[in-house]
Amino acid sequence: MTAYRLMAGGLVDRSRSLSFSFDGRPLRGFAGDTLASALLANDQMLVGRSFKYHRPRGIVSAGSSEPNALVTIGSGARSDPNTKATVAELYTGLTARSQNRWPSLGFDIGAVIDRFSPFLGAGFYYKTFMWPAQLWERLYEPLIRRAAGLGRAVLERDPEIYEKSWAHCDLLVVGGGPAGLIAALTAGRAGLRVILADEDFRLGGSLLSETQPIDGAPAHVFADRAVAELQALPNVTLLPRTTVFGWYDDNVFGAVERVQKHVAEPSAKLPTERVWRIVARRALLATGAEERPLVFGGNDRPGVMMAGALSTYANRYGVAAGRSVAIFTNGTAGYRAARDLHAKGIAIAAIVDSRAAEADAAPEGVRVIRSAAVVDTRGRLRVSGLVVERSGFEELVACDAVGMSGGWSPVIHLACQRGAKPVWSEALNAFVAPDVGGGLRVAGSANGVYTLSGCLGDGAAKASAIASELGFKPAQDVLPATGEETDPSFTALWYAPGAKSKAFVDFQNDVHAKDLGLALREGFGHVEHAKRYTTSGMATDQGKLSNINAVGILAGMRGVSPADVGTTTFRPFYTPVSFGALAGTARDKHAAPVRKSPLHEWARKNGASFVEAGPWYRSAWFPRAGEKTWRESVDREVLNVRANVGICDVSTLGKIELFGPDAAEFLNRLYSNALLKLPVGRARYGLMLREDGFVYDDGTVSRLAEEHFLVTTTTALAGGVMSHMEYCSQVLWPDLKVRFCSVSDQWAQIAIAGPKARSVLQQLVEDDISNAAFPFLAVGTVTLKGGLKGRLFRISFSGELAFELAVPAGFGVAVADQIMEVGRAFDICAYGVEALNVLRLEKGLPTHAEFDGRVTPDDAGLGRMVSAQKTDFIGKHLSARYGLTAADRSQLVGLKPVDKEKDIRAGAHLLREGMKPSTLNDQGWVSSACFSPVLGHHIALAFLKSGRERYGERIVVWDKLRDQEVMAEVCNPVFVDPENARMKA
Amino acid sequence: MIRDYYNRHALDEKLRGAPRPAGVNHLAIAHRQAVAMVLAQAGEEDTVQRALSQTTEFILRFCASGEWLVVSENDTPEGLQRRLDALCAGRAYIVDQSEARVLFRLSGPSTRRILAKGVGLDLHPAAFATGASANALCGHVAVNLARTGDDTFELIAPRSFAESLFDDLMAMGREYDLTAAFAG
Repeated sequence: MTAYRLMAGGLVDRSRSLSFSFDGRPLRGFAGDTLASALLANDQMLVGRSFKYHRPRGIVSAGSSEPNALVTIGSGARSDPNTKATVAELYTGLTARSQNRWPSLGFDIGAVIDRFSPFLGAGFYYKTFMWPAQLWERLYEPLIRRAAGLGRAVLERDPEIYEKSWAHCDLLVVGGGPAGLIAALTAGRAGLRVILADEDFRLGGSLLSETQPIDGAPAHVFADRAVAELQALPNVTLLPRTTVFGWYDDNVFGAVERVQKHVAEPSAKLPTERVWRIVARRALLATGAEERPLVFGGNDRPGVMMAGALSTYANRYGVAAGRSVAIFTNGTAGYRAARDLHAKGIAIAAIVDSRAAEADAAPEGVRVIRSAAVVDTRGRLRVSGLVVERSGFEELVACDAVGMSGGWSPVIHLACQRGAKPVWSEALNAFVAPDVGGGLRVAGSANGVYTLSGCLGDGAAKASAIASELGFKPAQDVLPATGEETDPSFTALWYAPGAKSKAFVDFQNDVHAKDLGLALREGFGHVEHAKRYTTSGMATDQGKLSNINAVGILAGMRGVSPADVGTTTFRPFYTPVSFGALAGTARDKHAAPVRKSPLHEWARKNGASFVEAGPWYRSAWFPRAGEKTWRESVDREVLNVRANVGICDVSTLGKIELFGPDAAEFLNRLYSNALLKLPVGRARYGLMLREDGFVYDDGTVSRLAEEHFLVTTTTALAGGVMSHMEYCSQVLWPDLKVRFCSVSDQWAQIAIAGPKARSVLQQLVEDDISNAAFPFLAVGTVTLKGGLKGRLFRISFSGELAFELAVPAGFGVAVADQIMEVGRAFDICAYGVEALNVLRLEKGLPTHAEFDGRVTPDDAGLGRMVSAQKTDFIGKHLSARYGLTAADRSQLVGLKPVDKEKDIRAGAHLLREGMKPSTLNDQGWVSSACFSPVLGHHIALAFLKSGRERYGERIVVWDKLRDQEVMAEVCNPVFVDPENARMKA
Repeated sequence: MIRDYYNRHALDEKLRGAPRPAGVNHLAIAHRQAVAMVLAQAGEEDTVQRALSQTTEFILRFCASGEWLVVSENDTPEGLQRRLDALCAGRAYIVDQSEARVLFRLSGPSTRRILAKGVGLDLHPAAFATGASANALCGHVAVNLARTGDDTFELIAPRSFAESLFDDLMAMGREYDLTAAFAG
């Protein structure tokens, strides 16, 4: 037993004992413990094996910078790998497992790798496992990946629920330590809307382990009083257990709240984690400062910890990390830690000070070894002694824990996430936050103010300034009184010279000082290169402890200032955030919204099989009893439409109404064909080009009144066309008097197609819909029997006599039901988008399968849709480009397999007979294909070089995906009724 | 053959079954309402807004410059159309949207916290007072959001998205025991 729970003290609740387990061993801790403090109290210093060399590793820190104490918490699908034991709140039933070891933590076979470490320097695998190349993916990489690593992700479905929420405030305070609490109080009292977020489960930050009194009371009492006051303020929101991980445009901050990571029985109503997007008018970074480790031989031995962490474990958790602690320091902080531990009755083996003569007072009777350095450590699974060297004299200092203190680095991560680089301060021997403008300011230790009184003063002053700036009147409160301050100075020591064994810079990635030397020697001395070459500063801790030392060592090796080396790039996330939290509720049915047609229920009742089409669910076909394949249903539906009548849901098409004296002119410029003289009560097919002359979308344009139009778009581009119109109206032609509005959701639209369509429809409507009264392309308002008003369009996408009836959406199902009922006498059937597609293919009508962004109107056989008379329209000028008018462009043709049993599929390419497939020999491609039940064989639409001149020619359809070649005959793309007699009947 | 066609609500399937009592936080869905889009003619935006603001018989929802949604609980769609035509006197185009939109009314002490899970707007009374309205995203769905009281908000959503939005709202309200029913 070397680590233990102190008899008294600390902020843990000794009346509430919690049971938990580590690697299967049942243990007990107290409420208020972290997993790390509870492990230490149970003498479990060894917590993991290192990433690369499998060296035994222990707890180093008491916070989120922890590189070593990564464990897997939970089991099965609820496992969270790489959880930092130092921030994991203890709860009853917590189960934790160590990582990257086999068969056990104490005896790890992988540790043999450490023996070979001379051959395993930075980048070793790039050099070692080069040949034969094919073995890299199959052998070397899997082997390396198995040997190296941290926790394992579980592959099971995550049963937790997550969510996101927005928040808005005048001031976001990041960090609930002395500077943050007083800032929140100052701003909250002044009436600002304040959000205070802190990653810890208990607000107070360093106040929770502070020994200096505030206003005559212990510092944590001050913290509790401040929290109580803040809780009572309605304009203040406290977010404990919340890490602000990112700073984004418009002063939006990302934060993750661990809502119930710390409970044994999570509530089903609450998310496990919640991501906050906090829109802050101002933000104050009060994130404190991080103590630096020292880089010396054997510094990764379990038991070598941060000096400040030793204090925190003793003061806040009532835990001694060792019975005899040695301190290695380059500044005052080491002495302070020694005093804290000494006061708790923990023996101090010695204070090793790298400096020559300092005035810092060691506790009574403690030996100070000045101008000295640690060159090695002793012990295996736990440190048992330090080898201290002074002017060539080596001495062994026995101890069972070591506190290292290498000075302070302000935590400025968030301030540097949007491009501004940290600035080196010679005075502070540290990188400090750049000036990033008024939106985000830094206070307290994060601002390089390391004393308690300084933090309180800085936090209050910054919050006061922000309040005034935003028009509030902050009270001039008297600052709380603090005790005697310690001088926070230190002398930089980047590397303790004379290391007798590996001196680790980055514990988590097993990067030691020599790796950085290797990187420099091999030309990777730039700080960003050195990071990639050595992996220093990578992985889950992103070098929170190590980066500054890596920079200092590189500077030392290059003989320059750390200012010249600079830092690597700071990016979100400050600490890792689970994918679940980032996804929030956006999974399963909440992942993307579903759009349902007003006729969805009608289709469902009629047995439709649905297909996803963007956000829509469209009815694909309507299987009937006895039909075994989708083709049987589709063939029946097609034949029935050609012979009798069918109805189809076309509600998903985009519908936009336009109004105004310039509506006709607006549309005339938007579409390539002439629309100015479209008569009232008539519809016309309209083709829209992009500026570059290629087809954008098509649809119908109906003139409902002189200054009132209705256009339809394809389902896919309903939103796109609307945006395009907004752009044209607002940017291109703001002088045109036109207003428009989407009416897509207002109407249920039903296509009724087939030779008996009129007979069916006439049963339902009052109006005369004979060919004379309502000819092809007529449009008008109709009254259904019973009085319901609808809109009727005589348009056809099947080549048959067809109408589209639009009724207010809520009536859609009832009207469709009624059509089916009266249509029964005419052998009506419902048909879906698959039959719709076959019908249009038989008729040679192009869709977006043809308009794929490479196709001009002329390519698609729609050259007549491009008005030569119009002075201008979108796409006109670039349509005349050389290349878009070339004679050998691919043109729309039909294809029929020579052997009628063969099929053709979309995506196949066309080749001249006997030619080898190559880009050069490519003659075109198949854009759509289907089986035509009318013709009894497959048909296809294709784009073929100079295709319209090649009807009758035989061509090879080369389908590499199915490794199949089919001989086909090139033909007119209109397979059924080329004279349009049926459509106009 | 004369018949009356049944008008089905987009949420008929979702809210089928016996109505459950409304909780403290409640989502009421209007079963019938008249909604119209008013598009002011160029240059007539201010006149139209003044004309529309004079009446208290319906509610005005801002959508875009010169564009408003008008919601009336007492009119039929045709009635609202006539009334608006008379009010605007040819200065605006009126488009019936009664069937295109679904009206969700959210009420209760936790409404702001519920909405914050889907809406990025600042809904603090100082920023979004009673009577304010705006087009906004609620999760993935575009809605027109209005504050109708201290703790009451109204969302007007496209009909085709109504089921998805309903599911999202219920998930957002799970923490606060949100209930839902057609408005009485």
